[in-house]
Amino acid sequence: MPILIMFRSLTYAQRGARVLERSGISASIAKAPMKMTDKGCSYCVRISESGLTMALTALERGDIVYGKVLRFSGEGEYQEVLS
Amino acid sequence: MIYLDSAATSFLKPPQVGRGVMKALSSCSSPGRGAYSAAMYAADVVLSCRETAARLFHVPKPEQIVFTSSATHGLNIAIRSLVHPGDRVVISGYEHNAVTRPLYALGADIDIVSTRLFSPEEMISEFEKKIPGASAVVCTHVSNVFGYVLPVEEISRMCRLYRVPCILDASQSAGLLNIDFSELSPAFIAMPGHKGLLGPQGTGLLLCNESGVPLIYGGTGGFSLQQDMPEDLPERLEAGTLNVCGIAGLLEGMKFVLSESPNRLRAQEIKLMRETIRQLSGCNTIQLYYSDNNALHCGVLSMISSKYDCEVWAEKLASCGVAARAGLHCAPLAHKTAGTLDVGTLRISFSPFNTSEEIRAATGIMRKI
Repeated sequence: MPILIMFRSLTYAQRGARVLERSGISASIAKAPMKMTDKGCSYCVRISESGLTMALTALERGDIVYGKVLRFSGEGEYQEVLS
Repeated sequence: MIYLDSAATSFLKPPQVGRGVMKALSSCSSPGRGAYSAAMYAADVVLSCRETAARLFHVPKPEQIVFTSSATHGLNIAIRSLVHPGDRVVISGYEHNAVTRPLYALGADIDIVSTRLFSPEEMISEFEKKIPGASAVVCTHVSNVFGYVLPVEEISRMCRLYRVPCILDASQSAGLLNIDFSELSPAFIAMPGHKGLLGPQGTGLLLCNESGVPLIYGGTGGFSLQQDMPEDLPERLEAGTLNVCGIAGLLEGMKFVLSESPNRLRAQEIKLMRETIRQLSGCNTIQLYYSDNNALHCGVLSMISSKYDCEVWAEKLASCGVAARAGLHCAPLAHKTAGTLDVGTLRISFSPFNTSEEIRAATGIMRKI
């Protein structure tokens, strides 16, 4: 199942995606699901679940601030993995 | 045309700047307005431009780079972020109206350091007297009228010492002098994209150490339910649609500057300026304003003629195919400080793309006139 890492802005999401790509983790930027944002439009980075631990380590090493981490559980539902 | 007005706009640009603009026109939509490919490609161009600027100016994080439409726009944001009515603000005697008009409009108490041309020690000493207790310092890096390189490293050091926030106007220095944002550590540095950075008109950068107060409010593509502007840079100071095509051109201009290095580009301009001074120094109707010390100069040279009003002189040059600027150059304070307020000056300013042949031809025309 894909994992969504939420970011405060598009710029942060882009920087996050670049850090992940440089660490060998395939990452794509997407608009965050509306129901998972409390302030309106937002961006997230989509990765595969197998890369999650490595991804969070890479983001922290790169000093990239991220928000909630969500797991897509099918049929439009998301489950918080980390907040 | 022999173009000698690069201090106004770098009309002569590397071809990749135009190609970058054209490519963006046909492939970019707006960043932050969708996740489809044209929006994401635009976002990629914009982030690459921030990252390149961060590398060129030693800015720790790309989000500290805010896009503006000009240095004037950036200076207005910076000044409005730090200055309140009645605040005492110390400025050099060589500031542009882009600094003095916003301060005047805010009702600031403008405290001017008025010192002679090409006398950095005198300037440092006067700044030292005025900085303690000031609300802010605003200082140009290079005079747009005289090409005088001001001692901004020392001025910044004093600002740090006395904990006075500092705004630098790098309009004439960005792309030509090494600017180390981390070392200078000012509150803000404002610069245009269309001068030494060789980008298109309508572009500019504001380097930020503070989050700043927005000058305009509106959509940023994020946190749409929130009616306050976002707290995070760069979106906080970038309401509305970005000039993506201009930014794409600016990216190419900055890549060129990085590959050539600011020092090399400036050295070429100084060489051309020295050639001009050599060619004109025998002319007893022309008075040139310059220093023999290259460290105090960028490629901008002001002069007055005992024969012609400077505007008439510039018009005669234009009719012979030489593009130069005359008047007060939007910097009456600099003229007041240097003693040329009544007459203005003819200013010629160089580009790394000007050639010695052009200088010989232009100075030949000037001597003949």
